[in-house]
Amino acid sequence: MPSHDFTPETAMKQVLQFDQLSCRLKVEGLPDVSVGQSGQNLGIITGWSLAWAGRPELEGRKEHLLALMQVVLPYARYLISGVPRRFGADPEPVEIGPRVEGGHALLLRSSQPDTPPLQLNLDDAELTDLVRVLDQLRLDSRLQLPLDLPEPVPLKGRELLERRPLAQRLAAPLAGLLAVAAASGLGLLLPEPKLEPEQQPAAAQPARGTSPAPPRP
Amino acid sequence: MPLDLTAPESTARLPRRGLERLDLLLLSAEALDLNGGEAMVWMSEQMGFTNLFPNRVELWKRRCTNPLRRTTRREGLEPAETDALIRIICALADRLYPLLRGLLSSAEPADVLSERWNLFRSRLADLVRQRMNLRRGGVQLLLDPESGERQSRLLIQALALGAGVGGFERLRASLLDAQP
Repeated sequence: MPSHDFTPETAMKQVLQFDQLSCRLKVEGLPDVSVGQSGQNLGIITGWSLAWAGRPELEGRKEHLLALMQVVLPYARYLISGVPRRFGADPEPVEIGPRVEGGHALLLRSSQPDTPPLQLNLDDAELTDLVRVLDQLRLDSRLQLPLDLPEPVPLKGRELLERRPLAQRLAAPLAGLLAVAAASGLGLLLPEPKLEPEQQPAAAQPARGTSPAPPRP
Repeated sequence: MPLDLTAPESTARLPRRGLERLDLLLLSAEALDLNGGEAMVWMSEQMGFTNLFPNRVELWKRRCTNPLRRTTRREGLEPAETDALIRIICALADRLYPLLRGLLSSAEPADVLSERWNLFRSRLADLVRQRMNLRRGGVQLLLDPESGERQSRLLIQALALGAGVGGFERLRASLLDAQP
């Protein structure tokens, strides 16, 4: 009789797959029968992989997938408002931020001690592909798992101002200060008007035909 | 496109800048798709928004709440109308995603990319000249060769990140941003 690896786990194993032009996200897991989930749902993530065209495939555990979503989705939220902001500083396992040359740098830090971090440089199209597969996973009704993801909220005025370069933001107030300083300096250079004492009585003489002013006390 | 039913309904009204961006995103969709205006009306019917926008005139009136328009309407948008228009944008962007992706991809040959951008910018500029008040600073920035380039890239990026099922909440939050 031929042997095969048909076990209850393989029978219940579910794979969710989401495709975009540059990447494919596969999430494997099992339904959590302890809370009454049926066979098509996925309540326990056992592994995931993200395949990129022309790049190394990423794999990991549920924590890594959550870490990826927790930085990429807020980054996309800020980017849609035109504010490229870095998310996931060290020691977070995933970091994303804008690159000076254009595009986005996705940095993946390994939990292994001697493994250097892996940096993936993404262009705008690859980033939107990644955001779309993560959105599809997040909103898939088969994924019966609470995801601890921040809600997209409107940005405050201060956060929007920060997208303008510092020099540009300081230009107007600095120009104002300089203008005030220059005006004050010029004002100080002007000679003070001197009152000539001999002109004072002449100016005080009453006009012809008018009554003389009363004597001063 | 299926609706993201987990997204709660908004109660906030769009600020002035949000109204401007909402209409400019619709205008960008029209610049990408020559039948974009018709697609908008069709999409509205398909998504069940006929109670909010019974015909194309009503849809056009809501778009005229953009203060940058030549003929602008003073009243703002109700939150339900805003949500419906954002859902229409997300659906249009999802439909146009291959075009958006083509504009954003650096893997495309430089001359092809440049030609695509030029075509998009010229169509957007034509639509802006037709419908917007050219004396407004925001409109002049859009038509300016330098700042217009950045503005149109931001619009395409916003459409791409707002496309699909998950784009709705993200785009709505960005339209509700505070005034800088």
